[in-house]
Amino acid sequence: MNERKRLWFINWPLLIAVTALAVYGSLMVQSATAGMPGGPGLFRRHLLGLAIGLVPMVVVWAFDYRTLQGWIGPLLLMDALLILSPRIPGLGATAKGATSWLSVAGFRLFQPSEPAKLLTIVVMAAVIATYKGKIERPADLAKVLGILAVPLALIMLQPDLGTGMVFVAITAGMLLIGGLKPRWFLILGIVGFILVGGLLSLNTALDKALNRDVLIKQYQLDRLQVFVDPTRDPKGAGYNLEQSKIAIGSGELTGKGLGSGTQSNLRFLPEPHTDFIFSVTAEELGFLGAVILLGLYLALLIISLEIAASSRDLFGSLIVAGVMTMWTFQILENIGMTIGLMPITGIPLPFMSFGSSFMVTNLAAVGMLLSVWTRRQGVSGY
Amino acid sequence: MPCCCQPSLSERAVRLLDFRQQLKPRFAVLGFVVLAVLGLLLARIWTLQVLDGPAYAKQANDNHVREVTTEAPRGRILDRNGRELVTNRPTMAVVVAPSSINDEKLLARLSTVLNMPVADIKERVASVKLAPLASRTVAIDVPMSAVAYISEHETEFPGVEVRTQAVRKYPQGSLAAHVLGYAGEVSQSELELPDSPYQYGDIVGKAGAEKSFEKVLQGDRGRQLVEVDAKGRQQTVILNGEPVAGRDVVLTIDSKVQAVTEKALAQAMEDAHKAKFPKARAGAAVAIDIKTGEILAMASLPTYDPELFLGGISEKNWQMLTSKDSEFPLTNRAIMAQYPAASTFKAMTGLAGLEAGFTSPGSTYDCKGIWTGMGEQWKKYCWDHAGHGNETFMEGIRDSCDTVFYEIGYRFYRDKGEKLQKFARRFGFGADSGIDLPGEVSGRIPDAAWKASYNENYPEYQQWLPGDTVNLAIGQGDLLVTPLQLLDAYAGIANGGKVMKPHVIKQVLDAQGTPILSTSPEVAFDSKTSQGNLSTMKTALASVTKDGTGKGAFVGFPVAVAGKTGTAQVTGKDDMALFVGFAPVEKPRYAVVVVIEEGGHGGSVAGPAARQILAACLGQKIEHVTATDASR
Repeated sequence: MNERKRLWFINWPLLIAVTALAVYGSLMVQSATAGMPGGPGLFRRHLLGLAIGLVPMVVVWAFDYRTLQGWIGPLLLMDALLILSPRIPGLGATAKGATSWLSVAGFRLFQPSEPAKLLTIVVMAAVIATYKGKIERPADLAKVLGILAVPLALIMLQPDLGTGMVFVAITAGMLLIGGLKPRWFLILGIVGFILVGGLLSLNTALDKALNRDVLIKQYQLDRLQVFVDPTRDPKGAGYNLEQSKIAIGSGELTGKGLGSGTQSNLRFLPEPHTDFIFSVTAEELGFLGAVILLGLYLALLIISLEIAASSRDLFGSLIVAGVMTMWTFQILENIGMTIGLMPITGIPLPFMSFGSSFMVTNLAAVGMLLSVWTRRQGVSGY
Repeated sequence: MPCCCQPSLSERAVRLLDFRQQLKPRFAVLGFVVLAVLGLLLARIWTLQVLDGPAYAKQANDNHVREVTTEAPRGRILDRNGRELVTNRPTMAVVVAPSSINDEKLLARLSTVLNMPVADIKERVASVKLAPLASRTVAIDVPMSAVAYISEHETEFPGVEVRTQAVRKYPQGSLAAHVLGYAGEVSQSELELPDSPYQYGDIVGKAGAEKSFEKVLQGDRGRQLVEVDAKGRQQTVILNGEPVAGRDVVLTIDSKVQAVTEKALAQAMEDAHKAKFPKARAGAAVAIDIKTGEILAMASLPTYDPELFLGGISEKNWQMLTSKDSEFPLTNRAIMAQYPAASTFKAMTGLAGLEAGFTSPGSTYDCKGIWTGMGEQWKKYCWDHAGHGNETFMEGIRDSCDTVFYEIGYRFYRDKGEKLQKFARRFGFGADSGIDLPGEVSGRIPDAAWKASYNENYPEYQQWLPGDTVNLAIGQGDLLVTPLQLLDAYAGIANGGKVMKPHVIKQVLDAQGTPILSTSPEVAFDSKTSQGNLSTMKTALASVTKDGTGKGAFVGFPVAVAGKTGTAQVTGKDDMALFVGFAPVEKPRYAVVVVIEEGGHGGSVAGPAARQILAACLGQKIEHVTATDASR
């Protein structure tokens, strides 16, 4: 069987699940943006992002992922460059306190941290795959963590707390499949906890000493504090969470009807088309709409697990596991923050939220899954 | 069999299998994490949407639906000719939210801006008459400079609001103040009434017509349900309830007659002072249409300025209006005060005697100035100690001869049937007149049962004695009447024995000024007195102003007047002057009563005032005469 024919081995369930999610997402973005100034334009940009995303999806799919295993160095460099690019004078743009956009001549192109997630997954998979499924030497673990540290440090400098958390989650998922012993997870957890605690104290101390907001920004701290106690200043930082909960709760069983959500249409919900798209969905389509969405995600993740298990090599399994962990964590974080289970960070909901960089990245990730699937074990010729 | 180093195909397959076997539990963990995450989210969403859904639905609704209410203008009060007595005017008011009333610094700043003593401001915000959650109006008619200052320094005045507010306007000043009453901010108890239509800050009638006709004067607040966005900007109107203005009320009061009445009452006070009764300062006068019961004028002294109630009355003014020192200016003495009827009651005793057959127009009595009908030890004097000599029944009325009525009263006592009391009740004494103003009292017709229960704890005073009936016959003793009751009784005599229900409301107008409700005359008491006896009494009463005790007051009056003077003795006080009567005698139309506390003699003080009021009713020339009658 030649390369051309092999491409026809498509994982149809994956494509169906992704298509269903994209259609569902478009429906909700349309509803959420309908009442906004420039709403139709936003919706068109969302559809455009979907269409553009098909190109990297197909390209990545056609590309043999195994080739990437030998490119660790160049890929890591590219990863760092991507994350650093908004810092290059004349190329960066700042929005909501974070310099995370790449822009040319004032036109915002995309957020480089999005594709950087995929590059990090590939680099890390390539490194972990060399340990043949057993990470026993602390030096190996240190190497993996070192590779995580590069993008993580750069991301935290933007600063983008949410994306940083995604990187940590991805690494954890891949270390699990890569064969890290459970006790190491425990140790890492404790060390991480101490580090975060130390960082927070250091932050407070530095803020006081320098008398200005350094390291962790105040609004990020506020969000964390509100997560701990949502009634704290409900009109300020807690307001978003309160309004989101009201939106979701008031959707009740069957919702207020598509386009009829009062919380979203009357702007009680902040960012209804991006961060709080789930709140819009739950308000307008109710618990039933939420169940359908979670059902689609379950299908997507189970299919991904099946693809990971079907991989002909550990590298492929690791890539798929990384993507899967990325999605799982983003779903947990995004939906979790709208219902008060997680702190509020700017993590979008995969395939649902408005945002082209995010959509294109996720479609490229789908391409990677397809690439692993098409070249899986048992397919003749490999 | 030697084995070579080349791994066989099967060995490669085993290694691959190993890799898969190795990964299986790890995939299971990953799968479990996925299920746990989604399960956790689902459980939380179930709680929010299904278990707590209704509560959140209500919150969402409260979020975006606002009720906006608009005040409805209160109805006007007009006199019978359409003249405005009470209307509304807009004013700039400074209002302080209850949360800020203890902010001393704020009150001090307000004091400077409003040029008002801090004590006054404190007194206003501390008013206990208001609902605890209601905002307090600190000042009305605030000058524009103060309004501008407060608006420009908003942050210095937390909880302070400057707003346009409608307040009552009195184009005729304090004219008919007691009839009109006053309005004020709704109290906590009024808010707590079942089905209370009010909300904080509503202006409601508190006294007089404002209170009686509250239901028609009060409009319906406009209630709009509007959808607002997160910034409170109005999106759409869900429900639009326009405010409905209160109805205008037309009173039976004739402002011209009212003005004359108030002036006459004030003049009577001066007359009393001149006649060496310096303590006269309180009194009442009422004019009524005999056929319909319409009150044309009702005045009470001392009076008050209804403007004091605008924007909420201050504690100081309230103390002043409700104190003994100022003789309770808020009291409408025409219906809320009870007095001895004195000689004016002789018309009742006379009529009752005629009806009972105890006397007749031609019956003669011998007045020696002293009467010993009940025995030497119970002797009583006629007011004219010289004695009237031979008096007929008719002359007894004319001269107000006490001896004549002692005799008649003693006859009633011996009859033991309490016929005098029963007769007086048939004219409305001892009962509410039914007037459409709040707070009237019902007076007292003393009888044996009353005396026994009144002296429950004093057995020696319980027995009804001959002197009790005899005293009642001349309108003294335990008899108490309101000026309106007295007026009603005389109006009844003039109206063929039928007392019409007195009222001050004539019509209620709709928004276009068309009457939607008119009061029709109603008989309140039908005394069923024989027309012959009534006619006899009218003739007797006419002689009072022609040749009797009321002659001085009505000398030269172009219309024949029937009436009776009275001079009541009140223990510990100066004599009280009364006059009650009606005119014209032949075809009676109006009845008038005048009562002057500590004013002296009815003929010289009350009579001249009644003359002016009757003149105003009948369209005659209004003259102030000086009479010197010192009779009863």
